[in-house]
Formats: sequence, structure tokens, C-alpha cells
Amino acid sequence: MSVRVPAHPLRWRPLTPLLLAAGAASLVFSVLFRNPVPLFLGLPLLLAPVAAGAVGPRGSPAVGVSLSTEGTGPEVRFEGTFTPPPGVDARDLVVTVERPPSLLGDPVPEFDWSGTVARFRANWFAPNPVITELVPPSVVWRDPLGLVEREAVTSTEPLVITRYPPELLRIGAVRLERTTPLPGENRSRRVGESGEFHGIRLARPEDPPRQINWRATARAGQRLSNEYDLEKTGDILILLDARPTPLGPAADERLFSIARAAALGLSDAFLSVKARVGLGVFGEFLESVPLATGRAQRIRIETALKGAHLTSVRPPPERCAVSVRRAFPHGLTAVVLSSLADDSSADLTPYLRRRGYPVVVLSPSPLPLLAGASTLAEEDEQLAQRIARLARRNRIAHAWEEAPTIDWDDYWSLGHFVDFVRRPRVRRAG
Amino acid sequence: MTAAPGAPFFLPVRPVSLGVLLVATVVLGFVSGFPDGAGVVLAFSMVVLATGLRVVARRGAYSYAPVPVLSVLVLETATAPVGFGTELLAGLAGLAFLVWLADDPSRPVGGALRGLPEVAPPALALGIAWSSALFLPSGVVPLGVAGALLALALAAIAFLVGWPTVLDREGARS
Repeated sequence: MSVRVPAHPLRWRPLTPLLLAAGAASLVFSVLFRNPVPLFLGLPLLLAPVAAGAVGPRGSPAVGVSLSTEGTGPEVRFEGTFTPPPGVDARDLVVTVERPPSLLGDPVPEFDWSGTVARFRANWFAPNPVITELVPPSVVWRDPLGLVEREAVTSTEPLVITRYPPELLRIGAVRLERTTPLPGENRSRRVGESGEFHGIRLARPEDPPRQINWRATARAGQRLSNEYDLEKTGDILILLDARPTPLGPAADERLFSIARAAALGLSDAFLSVKARVGLGVFGEFLESVPLATGRAQRIRIETALKGAHLTSVRPPPERCAVSVRRAFPHGLTAVVLSSLADDSSADLTPYLRRRGYPVVVLSPSPLPLLAGASTLAEEDEQLAQRIARLARRNRIAHAWEEAPTIDWDDYWSLGHFVDFVRRPRVRRAG
Repeated sequence: MTAAPGAPFFLPVRPVSLGVLLVATVVLGFVSGFPDGAGVVLAFSMVVLATGLRVVARRGAYSYAPVPVLSVLVLETATAPVGFGTELLAGLAGLAFLVWLADDPSRPVGGALRGLPEVAPPALALGIAWSSALFLPSGVVPLGVAGALLALALAAIAFLVGWPTVLDREGARS
């Protein structure tokens, strides 16, 4: 039994009607002036579109696509290779690569064609930490004359670019509170380098000297290492504030994008040490990803963060605390990502604390974004920046009264935050 | 590939196809009925204008590049005197225009060669038509017949343009 595969139909390009119109005009002139010369011009013009449609592939060409991304920090290198089926010249493939709006750099990639393969390389950069999706390039077969085209069949998934401050990867060593009570605690079956003694195994090159069991090594005549039951380091909730602020939708969107990237970086760091991580995005209502660990949880969190968006309404902050209490266990350490752009933005913290959640606030500062958008004269701009910094410092100080609050103004560095979380200090008054 | 911000402002000129088009158009302008060499000047200026539009990598201007060449070709053939040489020249100018189209500077080099399978059927048809005109007795009646045949061809092409899926052949898998 044969199954018909749906194909993208042949499309005429705008040049085709132009040629046909010129051919028709030649025909009309020929008849009007009783002159066969225009007929001879019209003949190639009228036949070329039909020849173009007939010469090309009769169905959608299945093009093999291989995409990859490279780069660290702000650098994003997007590369791809397109291999057409036999009989189709790679130079007839028209590849359109879209640069996501959150990335900067030359929007037109470098192309390199040979008869059998087409390649491209785009060098972009992320001005701020970002999670963004790279839409797979569209591939179209177009005849050399540019008269007809046919969309190619490709099977590629969108790639996700995640860029966040590298210091976040160090944060996983933080000891978090467990929210699972000890009598009913389910011990991890995994083995690793911490926790209770599990057994002895052959040493691996990457094992540190402290893990080598030297007595057993001496007895066995080969290097042996201790292995331990892996401890669960604890649980953490990452909570994003997706409510609107007086900064306006554009600035809110950029700050929220930075917060999403930081949230993914935090979850990556804690998931890498087997901690359980939960996610909450509080806009009009709370959208949550329950506590879990492992690769699947990473994908769940990434998917939720990709789909998270700002809301246009500002719900009561108590709704957030009530919803968090329903979705997550009591006593969970919560990292709240909020811009604290106005005084009312800090209102989540007291409600969360009253519900029994220790809170740390990480606040991406709006000042670097606003500094670039100002139209004031230089002196006025300096004065405005100074006032804005004072107001921001005052707001952070007020937020500190409720919970430790870290002002994040250098978007590519979170060293202060990581140091604070790893070695928390009591803030001195004044 | 489409021109976009950040792309080079000017694209390279493909000299061979441009030369072929220029020679064909200028010679046709020379034999056309325009007085005082106006046909040559018109042909030359229109080809230069089309080349200018084509090498400017701005999408809007770029897509209008074939219009001046097509206009001048139609005008020149409409005023050209009847003659076997002129007819052949008009057909060759049409083919030269197709070769020039295939040598698009915004696409990988070698377009003219890759476009030969598309240019070949019109060239073959042109050869047959010109041979028929040369060796068969001609007059007003054959001209009418040719016009009717062309009208039929136009109707067929309009049908194809309206239903391009006629040219599709969907793949099947078992």
C-alpha cells in the first residue's frame, strides 16, 4: 500500500508574470503591426517559465540539514550544512536564516556553496543573558532563472541558545535545606563522591587523591577508590516576577528576558548537583514546574522559561504566596527574580516569608538599560543617572529589610550573588 | 538569499552574460526602425540601467532590474523591419535575456551554465520556428496561424500559472 507524501507545490515567482506579459505584448504587437519579428522574441519568453517548471524537481526535494551552535558567553556562532538529494544542485538552494531579535550582529550569514552541499556560518552575539530559540533556516529550491521555486522538505528542530553568567555554575555547591522529612526520606540510589560509604571500585583518572582508598590499593595492587551514596543536596524554588512595571513593556521585556536566562542558569547549576529544583512564574497567576531533578526536569524548566511571558495586569501579591504554598512544600528556599523597578515590586517577599519560604532576591537592575536610551544632555544625563542610582540603592535597602537582596547591574557577572549565597553574611546596618 | 541590512551595498557584475545581452540588444537596436541611432542609445542605456538596478543590493530596486531590458526588447522588435535576419536576432536577444537572468549576481556563480537546461527548450523551439519561417512560403495567412498558435500557448501557460500543481509529481512510499 502506498502513502502519498504531501509536497510543497511549485510556486511561480514574480518574474514569471513579467516574462509572460512581455511575451503577450510581443504577440499583440506582432498581430497589430503584421510583423513576425516580435513573435520570435515572445517565443523564448513564453516558453521559459514552462521549461523552468518542467526541468526542476517534480516534488519537494528532501534536503538533509545539520545545524549546530557554538560559542561561550556573549558569542553565538550558528552554523549549518544543507545536502540536497541527488539531481538537485546545492547552488540552487536558497537558504534564509533569521536572526532572533535578542541577538545582535550581521543578520546575513556567510554562505559557501559547492555543487553538493551548501554551508552557512553566522557570527552573532548576545548583548545580555538570554534564552532564545533559533528558528531553523527556510530552504527553497529555486531554478537558476529565478522563475519558479519549491519549498524543500527538512526535518530539523529549533535550537535553543542559552547564555547566562558563567559564575552561576559555581552556585551548585551551596547547601540547601531539605524539605523532605528525614523519617520518610527517600535516599538516592545514585552513587557519587559524597554521603555515606557505598563501596570500593577501580579508580578513575579524574578521582581526587582523597577519594583513593590507599589501604585497599596497597592490598589489591591496583588503584581503588571509595564510592559514596550521593546525597540530595536539597531543594530550591526559582520564582520569576512576570508582572508589569512602570518602566514600560519594552524595558520590562528585556529585564524579564535576562531574568529568564538567570533562572535557567540557576536551575542548571542546582540540577547538576542532583538538587531538586522547582520553577514558578508569577504573572496574573502562578505557572509552576513542580520540584524534581534530572535531565527531564531541565527540559521541563527550559520549556517553561521559553514560553514564559510578561502579563499586562498586576494581580495582588498574596495570590503568589498562596499559589506557591499549594504547589511547593513549606520551608523551601526561594530565589525571587524581580527587577524591583518600583516600590510595589518588592511586595512578593513579605508574603512568601509569612508562608514559610526563606527568600533571596536577585534583582536585574534596569539602570544599564535606561542609561542607553536617554536623550538628555551630558550633564543632565549624569545627574539623572546619579539620582537613579540613589533611588535604586534606597529601594534595594528597603528590600533588604524583608530578605537578602542582590542588585544585579552587570548582566554578564553574578559573582556577588554566588559569593553571597555560598557564604551568606549578615548585612551591617547603615 | 535576500539582501538585508548589513549586506554589501553593491553586488559584483557578471561580465560574460552582461556582454552577451548588451551585444544582442544593441545590434537589435541598430536594425530596429528607430531613427538616427536612437535604438542603439536606448538599448545601451536600458541595459546599463538594468545592470545598475541589479548590482544594487537593495531588494526593492533589485527586483525591477529586468523591466527596462524587457521593455526595450519589446519596443525594438515591434518597430523592427521584417526579415529573416531580424527575426533570428530578436529570438537570440530573447535567449540572451534568459542567460542574463540566470547569471544572477546575488546567487552562486555558474547560474548561466546551470540554467542551460531551461534555456535549451525555448532555443530549440526558436530554431524550429525560424527554420520553418526560412524554408516554408510565408504570407499573411501563416502569420495569422502563428498568432493563433501563440494565443493557444498563452492560454496553456495561463492554465499552468493558475494551477502550478499540474507540474508536481508527489512522491510515494510503500
